[in-house]
Amino acid sequence: MGGERLKIVLSLTPPLLIIITLFFGGIFYGFLQSLGYQPAIGKYELNFSAYYNVMFSERYAKLFWSGLALNLWVSFASTFLAAVFALFGALAIRKTFVGKTLCNFIYSLNLPMPHLVVAVGMIFVFSQSGLLARLAAQIGMISSPGDFPVLVRDKYGFGIILAYIWKEAAFFFIILMSVLQSLGENFEELAQSLGANRWQRFRYVILPLVMPNLFSASIIVFAFSFGAYEVPALLGVIYPQMLPVMAFEFFLNPDLNARSEGMALSIIIALIVMILVVFYFWLTQAKIRKD
Amino acid sequence: MSDLKIENLVKNFQGMDRPAVNNVNLDINSGQLVAFLGPSGCGKTTILKMITGLFQPDNGNITLDNESLLPIPTEKRGVVMVFQNYLLFPYMNVNENVGFALKMKGVNKSIIDERVKEMLDLVKLPDIGLRKPKQLSGGQQQRVALARALIASPRLLLLDEPLSNLDAHLRDEMRELILTIQQKLNVTTIFVTHDQEEAVLLADKIALIFDGELQNFTSPKNYYEKPKNIKAAKFFGGVNFINADIVDNKIQSEIGFCEYQGDNIRDLNKKLFLTIRPENIKISKNNEFDHNSYQGKITSVIFSGTHTRYKINVNNVHLECSLQSVGIDNMKEDDQIFVHLPKDKIWGMND
Ligand SMILES: Nc1ncnc2c1ncn2[C@@H]1O[C@H](COP(=O)(O)OP(=O)(O)OP(=O)(O)O)[C@@H](O)[C@H]1O
Ligand SMILES: [Mg+2]
Repeated sequence: MGGERLKIVLSLTPPLLIIITLFFGGIFYGFLQSLGYQPAIGKYELNFSAYYNVMFSERYAKLFWSGLALNLWVSFASTFLAAVFALFGALAIRKTFVGKTLCNFIYSLNLPMPHLVVAVGMIFVFSQSGLLARLAAQIGMISSPGDFPVLVRDKYGFGIILAYIWKEAAFFFIILMSVLQSLGENFEELAQSLGANRWQRFRYVILPLVMPNLFSASIIVFAFSFGAYEVPALLGVIYPQMLPVMAFEFFLNPDLNARSEGMALSIIIALIVMILVVFYFWLTQAKIRKD
Repeated sequence: MSDLKIENLVKNFQGMDRPAVNNVNLDINSGQLVAFLGPSGCGKTTILKMITGLFQPDNGNITLDNESLLPIPTEKRGVVMVFQNYLLFPYMNVNENVGFALKMKGVNKSIIDERVKEMLDLVKLPDIGLRKPKQLSGGQQQRVALARALIASPRLLLLDEPLSNLDAHLRDEMRELILTIQQKLNVTTIFVTHDQEEAVLLADKIALIFDGELQNFTSPKNYYEKPKNIKAAKFFGGVNFINADIVDNKIQSEIGFCEYQGDNIRDLNKKLFLTIRPENIKISKNNEFDHNSYQGKITSVIFSGTHTRYKINVNNVHLECSLQSVGIDNMKEDDQIFVHLPKDKIWGMND
């Protein structure tokens, strides 16, 4: 028994070492940098001034806190709306042929589509020089494309939210379709025979049954959209600016001192996401224990 | 009270070459406990689902107390179905599960609590209200499902294979419970089963269904003694079938002339089959019977404890007879004997 276990541990050690070195080594080095450790420019002293600078210095505080607020808003709104759209979509068409076709379509087309492509697509369609604006101007709904509401590169992050909804609703949809498929209709039929009307069946049967899956998918989506860079970089504005974009700009800064701030900001983003992931594991574990 | 009437009920499904339910007619009286009996796929669940409104029939009508159920949506019919696999809501505890129907009606919480307790007492499961379904045994889950169905005093209770997921001794216990509760509440109940014995033990009347068609709807006793056709007789363990003709109002069978007392003599075709339960046949080495006595030869003797089963060849017709093992003079294979088919026990059928 003990020998067996030792064997397993030993055989797992080489890959584990690589993972630990590359992954945690990288993070650890990044963490050191965020503490001001930069041998390249002769800085060896460790302190939290980069963190302080990012969050509280006159120069960055406003950008950071407005960025954090935008980050939270965009991630919450897009995750929530994507989940809601997907839920109603899945419920509406789950029993139809369209549902299965759409599922296949999303599997084969939307899921592998990079976020970058979706973002560019958003610009094509929703920007003031985009398809919709021109179409609206053409048919006389607005006098010129410039009157089209600012949906892309707007300060409320609508364009970013739209892009995330587009991508993430598909992800939710596929998860929900498979959950609904495996549940079948028996619970709903039973509830109906016990006197539950359509709304009550949704509220007291479907929702609680899909909630665990919907919730864990939401946390994944939220964490992803919170830390992702490319969509806000393409569809965002200079101020307020989402945190990953802000971090990236620190790295683009030729001043090597800004490295520490960039790292500090990245670590802050990582921490928030990590807290979410831990919360997620805790939730799923709690669920497994309950079952 | 709740008289259920099913008229000319038809249901077709795509991809089936016969109707899943074919022109079924049934009259179920208030307070009766009725079994739908038949092999897998014969349409039992489909009929239940049409009564609840989960399926719409293609033809026919279903009335409860002379009012058609068809225009009424499922949730307003007051017809509650208990599904085969219990389907307790996994995210609710037992109390919440049982109280579900009242909660949907918007009943006051304190009244719900009270009724839930009553129901759990009724199914003999007090003190488990706070448990989750996963923490219950199969038998307990079944009882909770029953309590949940009964709480809103349904006009009609439908049980889809209530016993088939339970092991043998639990099944006996549950059967007793269903019977007591049904009598106590006097709720009109239909339960589905493919087990003939279960139907006999529980039901006031049995609807026998084959391939979507109702074969017969009568008391359990009649299925043994007066089956409607060979299929029905066989389903209830009938083994003795004899070809016969009616000649001049007398029955002439392939083993000889047969005296007959059955009350269905007028409904019988010219060509018919006679049947008799193995336990009603008498045999003897001497011809001591005053009617329906035929000569035959024992082809095998199977001792099975309290009873002994004899296979007998009478004029190349094979009959089986089951006698109590005690007190019979020893008859053995190849013995020539006389077989007696009492005229009040023999029964004629058309097909
Ligand atoms: N929703 C449906 N769509 C298509 N065919 C169906 C549907 N439900 C039932 N059937 C078919 O109708 C026939 C009767 O089914 P039903 O479920 O009523 O049988 P059952 O008597 O309840 O059988 P069992 O004892 O196996 O439960 C079967 O051949 C089945 O395949
Ligand atoms: Mg069935």
